[in-house]
Amino acid sequence: MPTTWSVTISRIVIALVAGAFVGWLYDSVAVGMLVAALGLLVWHLYHLFRLDRWLRTNDLDDFPTGLGIWPDTFARVSYHRGRARRRGKRLRALLKEFRLSASAFPDAGLILNADNELIYFNKAARDLLGLKKKADRGQRVENLIRVPQFLDYLRQDDYPEPVEFSLPVSDLWVSCRIVPYGPEQRLVVLQDVTRSKRLENMRRDFLANASHELRTPLTVITGYLDTLSEDDGLEDYMKAPLKEMNVQASRMRTLLEDLLRLSELESSELSPTDEQVSVPALLSAAKQSAKALPHCPENIEINIESDKAVLGVHSELQSVVSNLVINAVNHTSPEGTVKMTWKADDQGGCLIVHDSGIGISEDDLPRITERFYRVDAGRSRDKGGTGLGLAIVKHALIRHEAELEIDSELGEGSTFTCVFPASRLA
Amino acid sequence: MNDQYSSHIYRKFNENLEGLRTSVMEMGGLVEMQVSQAIEAIVSGDSELGLKVAQDDYRVNALEVQIDEECNRVLATMAPAAADLRLLITVIKTITDLERIGDEAERIGRLASHLATHERPAGSYRELRSLGEHVMEMLHDSLDAFSRLDPVDAVAVVEEDKLVDEEYDRITRECVSYMMEDSRNIRRFMDVSWVARSLERIGDHATNIAEYVIYMVEGKDIRHTHPDDLRAQVIGDKE
Repeated sequence: MPTTWSVTISRIVIALVAGAFVGWLYDSVAVGMLVAALGLLVWHLYHLFRLDRWLRTNDLDDFPTGLGIWPDTFARVSYHRGRARRRGKRLRALLKEFRLSASAFPDAGLILNADNELIYFNKAARDLLGLKKKADRGQRVENLIRVPQFLDYLRQDDYPEPVEFSLPVSDLWVSCRIVPYGPEQRLVVLQDVTRSKRLENMRRDFLANASHELRTPLTVITGYLDTLSEDDGLEDYMKAPLKEMNVQASRMRTLLEDLLRLSELESSELSPTDEQVSVPALLSAAKQSAKALPHCPENIEINIESDKAVLGVHSELQSVVSNLVINAVNHTSPEGTVKMTWKADDQGGCLIVHDSGIGISEDDLPRITERFYRVDAGRSRDKGGTGLGLAIVKHALIRHEAELEIDSELGEGSTFTCVFPASRLA
Repeated sequence: MNDQYSSHIYRKFNENLEGLRTSVMEMGGLVEMQVSQAIEAIVSGDSELGLKVAQDDYRVNALEVQIDEECNRVLATMAPAAADLRLLITVIKTITDLERIGDEAERIGRLASHLATHERPAGSYRELRSLGEHVMEMLHDSLDAFSRLDPVDAVAVVEEDKLVDEEYDRITRECVSYMMEDSRNIRRFMDVSWVARSLERIGDHATNIAEYVIYMVEGKDIRHTHPDDLRAQVIGDKE
């Protein structure tokens, strides 16, 4: 920098001195210097004019070179313009990349601001939801996606789970997830789940139909077996086989009933809330049935700490209690204890079934509510178990918006806790 | 007047009116779901679903009352004029039509639970499904036109109504011939023709909503214009 300015200043000084000298030759130093100064002014104004004109063009390179402040200024401006232009190009390329990838993205994506207005949506969103490319930007999303389940979901404070609903007219099922990000934006992602929904329905219908169809011949068989086993004219050697056939047919029937029940429960809808179910009554009934089982523990306690009832379906809650209690009884020695507790307050309710039995190992714990999963296949099958009990409990609880918590120590015992939300208590 | 609403860029009303528009759309969404489920109940013979639709009609009515009160409040406190006033009038008229559509859906739901007790015919009410889908599309499009303030889309809905009427006529003729064939069919096909009538009515209400949209945007009352002149009048203006 010193060089440029020193050149410029020295030029100015030289011009003034020359002017003064010529003026001195003609006896008026002042006029001479004035002329020189005017000349300098004109020269700088001319360069300013050129700068102005050059800035209006897009040409980066056409400017004066050499030493001095003006060429320097031109060069500097040209450099910065070049940089800005390259940056602009990079940004446009980046934006184009992003747009292409957003178009290719198979799921529908929408970006909303704090007022629920649509800031951006991709091609998949346009196709799935019938949005218009330009016209709908800035619109409130509730004006265009009007499905009640979506509106309820949108108005939540946070979005832990996705929501499923079907779109009008197209009848497609979508799974929708909202993800807040940044200071106030929200990303809405919608996935077409029509196919998996159909498969789920088909599977459920198949299960229900199959169980139903199998029941009919089975009823005939058990009917005849019953009649035959009561026949007094029966030969001795036939008695044992008949008894065994009866037992096995009975097992099949229980299995089918459990399967049917499970397929009914697996519908993801929540159970209705018009019926009030008394938990103490369920527990005492379960205790009675438990006492009738072989090897039932001596000690079965019921502890009622609240008189709140559960809103739901009696038969489903009865399945829950009876399955848990029967499990507890079957896995506890006669010297052990089974304790059932019901407590509830304004925050929610807990139904606890505790046993001092053989417990569940850490490996088995995460899988224990799977259908047909058995820890010790041989033993529980002998006791008439179907392997479906805990799956039924789990799904029945889901339908009642409740959760199942399992605590267990191998050799010490297990505690099964059903946690009901306050909204399900009365 | 026309450049206040451009069909290319979405323009906002003030906060109060925006809120009203969204409330109407919410009611529209609920009604769409009711109609959709009512048709589903008929076609799949789901009596439980039909009754559920009938019971849920109270939600539609509650929304109508709520929005109506809000409109009165806005009218009294804001004393809106010009475009804002037309929007308000349109909202009041639209919610009435939406509430009537809700009533038709309730009727269809109840008929669904009746029909479920009869034997299902070979065609499985295919024509009803087709008319139902047609009408649902009209309803959806008219609500979209409302939210987009797009008179061109609204005109398309008005033009659809004629086709819906024709479909309805076909169905009633078929019902009559079934009934003449076998007097045991009369019960069932009377119900079928009531369902078709309700669907056709829903189509009419959707058409009304579309006409209100045109009024709101264009400031023109086209309710009794002949359909052939309609397109020219509305779209002609835009060019």
